Amino acid sequence: MPDEKLDLPQGTLDLLILKAISLGPMHGWAISERIRDVSRATLQIPQGSLYPALHRLERRGWITAHWGASDNNRRAKYYELTSSGRSQLRIEADAWRTLTTAVGLVLDMG
Amino acid sequence: MPGQLRHRLSDALSDVRYRLRALFRRSVVERELREELEFHIDREARKLEATGLSPADALRQAQLAFGGVERIKDDTRDMHGISWLETFAADVRYAVRGLRARPAFTLAVVLTLGLAIGANVAMFGIVDQLLLRTPPYLRDAHRVHRVYFTSRDGDADLTEPTTEFPRYLDIGRFSRSLEATAVLAQRSFAIGVGETAREMPVGIVSASFWEFFDAAPIVGRFFTARDDAIPTGAPVVVLSYALWQLEYGGSPNVIGQTVQIGPGVCTIIGVAPPGFVGIPDEGAPVAYIPATLYGYAVSSGRGRVDYHTSYNWGWLSVVVRRKPGISIDAASADLTNAYRLSWEAQRTISRSLKPLEIAQPRASAGPVVLERGPNASPVARIAVWITGVATIVLLIACANVANLLLARALFRRREIALRMALGAGRARLVAQLLTESLVLGTLGGAAGIAAAQWGGAILRSLFLSESRAADVVRDVRTLAFAGASALVVGLLTGLVPALQAGRQALAPTLKAGVREGTYQRSRTRTVLLILQGALSVVLLVGAGLFVRSLYNVRSLRLGYDVDPVLYIHPNPRGARLSPRETADLARRLAEEAESMPDVASAARGISVPFWSTESTGFFVPGVDSVQQLGRFTTQMASAHYFETVGTRILRGRGITDADRADAPLVAVVSEGMANAVWPGKDAIGQCLMLDSRSAPCRTVVGIAENIRQSSLTKAETLQFYLAIEQLRPEEAILFVRVRGNAADHAESVRRRLQPMMPGAGYLNVMPMRDILDPRERSWQLGATMFVVFGGLALVLAAIGLYSVIAYAVAQRTQEIGVRIALGAGAADVVRLVLGEGVRFAVIGIALGSGVALWASRWVGPLLFSVSAKDPAVYGLVAFVLLAAAVVASALPAAKASRVDPNVALRAE
Repeated sequence: MPDEKLDLPQGTLDLLILKAISLGPMHGWAISERIRDVSRATLQIPQGSLYPALHRLERRGWITAHWGASDNNRRAKYYELTSSGRSQLRIEADAWRTLTTAVGLVLDMG
Repeated sequence: MPGQLRHRLSDALSDVRYRLRALFRRSVVERELREELEFHIDREARKLEATGLSPADALRQAQLAFGGVERIKDDTRDMHGISWLETFAADVRYAVRGLRARPAFTLAVVLTLGLAIGANVAMFGIVDQLLLRTPPYLRDAHRVHRVYFTSRDGDADLTEPTTEFPRYLDIGRFSRSLEATAVLAQRSFAIGVGETAREMPVGIVSASFWEFFDAAPIVGRFFTARDDAIPTGAPVVVLSYALWQLEYGGSPNVIGQTVQIGPGVCTIIGVAPPGFVGIPDEGAPVAYIPATLYGYAVSSGRGRVDYHTSYNWGWLSVVVRRKPGISIDAASADLTNAYRLSWEAQRTISRSLKPLEIAQPRASAGPVVLERGPNASPVARIAVWITGVATIVLLIACANVANLLLARALFRRREIALRMALGAGRARLVAQLLTESLVLGTLGGAAGIAAAQWGGAILRSLFLSESRAADVVRDVRTLAFAGASALVVGLLTGLVPALQAGRQALAPTLKAGVREGTYQRSRTRTVLLILQGALSVVLLVGAGLFVRSLYNVRSLRLGYDVDPVLYIHPNPRGARLSPRETADLARRLAEEAESMPDVASAARGISVPFWSTESTGFFVPGVDSVQQLGRFTTQMASAHYFETVGTRILRGRGITDADRADAPLVAVVSEGMANAVWPGKDAIGQCLMLDSRSAPCRTVVGIAENIRQSSLTKAETLQFYLAIEQLRPEEAILFVRVRGNAADHAESVRRRLQPMMPGAGYLNVMPMRDILDPRERSWQLGATMFVVFGGLALVLAAIGLYSVIAYAVAQRTQEIGVRIALGAGAADVVRLVLGEGVRFAVIGIALGSGVALWASRWVGPLLFSVSAKDPAVYGLVAFVLLAAAVVASALPAAKASRVDPNVALRAE
């Protein structure tokens, strides 16, 4: 497991959050854990930007929030993808793939 | 993609909902945020506990990893998109607190701004109504035009918005670029019968007129081509919504009822929607009748139904709508072509018409609003000027308030420096000062709307006819304008002080004591002050010029009296009277009027100055062609005519009771005509013949003074009078001379004479003043408005000067104390302070006079026999401004002369 941690490129945080909660409603802490686990701890979201990002996405209507009981029965704020968030995720993921493929091609050129 | 669009829309909606919740449910949102972050830390701590840490250590480590909770909260709040609003709200609260602490200052500023904004709002309402607003309901307004007809008349071009009925038919037939054409005219008719009958404006329109509007009748229908068919038209009428409400209580049963309109009886077929005014030329019409109906009524009254074939009665405006994609120029070219073809068609009927090459007829697609076109009235032009004047007053008020705010900012330098030292950003401080002036601007705007509502009613009645004067408060456009001007004023007044505060250096201000820290003559303030003085000079010069114009107009000898004379037009209205009966009725009306104690005399005539003038061809033995001398006008006069209207008989006699039909034929000529027709000879005893050289001789028995009857600005000299009993007594109208002011007696005369009218007939009684007033209106308006606004500007400038000088004296108390201690007398100190005020005034006068002289070439044409560079006016204005400056600085000067050197030097 590599120890180094990458700084997130500008704009990818939204994409990661949208992707993380596309699998089901999730609260803030779980989102950051999920991203860290799945990326094998390469991507660590600074808490300082997670919550502003969540609130911004909520304002833009891509995710909605509701309060629910967590695993130890505490009240937690769960975020969930809206249908316009789902289409936004598709757009951003496509853009990301196109970008990385293109960058990869350039890097691989003989 | 529609799905994408739907997402966008719902996103925007959720955005608004989100921000509103953040704004109005602030405590809930805050609590949720805190809870959310606490949950995160708690959850992290539990995870750490699982790795074996003690609960306390786990919590501490989780908190550490999380970072500054307050900062994250701040960052998150920023995402709510309302933080600027919260800051703004805090600034507003701060500003309001500051303003409440200084009620006198606040009141002065709000009053100043309120008066100035009010003047502008009121003027905007007027100009908007006169010039800017397109008629409601007009479809594709940008493609709708009125047609203006131009032809060569002598060596000048004559442009008119009216034309003949067959011309309208020709335009429709010969043009290719138009989608629709219609005609309209407006006349006043008595509506109803008996005592309730009142003269109201009626729209005379073609059936095609209705197609220009997206308006549907509220009840019934509009008239169609079948109702508007040549030649007779159908006697139908469409009521305006207002008349329907007023006279019929909005009952749908009006359809099919009949109403008397002028001489005819019409069947009501429909009601126009609320606010529909067609294309009003003056006052909104209360009803609409077919153009062919009116054309037929008038031309059959003249004995020949030829309104649709003959080109000798120009009474209609043509309105057209361009086809889409046709430019205005192309439409004008097409209209000109149609006009030329029509001109050729006209030449086949009337041979005396000038040929195309000489007349050069042209037509253009111009503004549908008459006041915006080439035939705009002087009132509209003056209104535009007055709007400029109101803007200047607003600028002066802004300069004044900016000056007051600057003075305050100087007092607050230390407070501001301190707050900057404590870490407030410059941008924040500037925003705060701007917020304060915006609050002042808003208060001023509110005061302005109140001022425009109450005071503006007077203004509106001066410029607009009754029916068009709308309420300020209920007019969205005017309110929007008021809001915009309040905003601009707020920014304008706040900008200078805010920028200056933002530029201020910190350390020196904090280190300096009160004395060093505050006294400093601000260059900005001086410039603002001089600007105010200069602008006041410009306005006062305007006031002087217009007052002199009005005085000149009023003292102009017209050749007859205006104030004591009533004009009466008997309208038999459908009652069929023989010429003999009509003549007899007029005679009896005059006799009855003369029997009233308040009436000095009454007489008959056939034409009214400035309303209708008559001209008749005539011949004079020994003179080849008198017509070459110019255009002669004529009046048929009864006995007492000259003393009734006040035209002086210079030599010989006027018309008397002895000049009956069977008596020798007589004439009275004007002085100018006597000199022009019989130069070097005595006109009395000479002979003139009407119609032909073989007609009987009418002997000149008197010479009367010249009168002006078609233009106030141009002298007319060629007039003659014939005895009405010897010619056309059946066309008589009445003149009544009362003791005192004619307007006061109009109603009593009308009531006395009305019972003598047969059937539904009625009398139109009008003071001559009402006929002359519209002619003098532009100068009257100019004089009134310039005096009011000029006075306002002067007062504002004087207050501004006073505040600056008083402030300077307060700051220089110590210096003045030193001077007095060194032996300066009270007179020296007074001179010192007064000198400063006078210096400002002199620079302002020089600057303002320069601007006024530069503007004089545009004002010149609006004046009446006074030069726009009249030295007397400029001199008087300079004197007034100097006097105001002396008065404004006298109080501070007196205070300065009483400075006690002991006190002043020991202070601080």
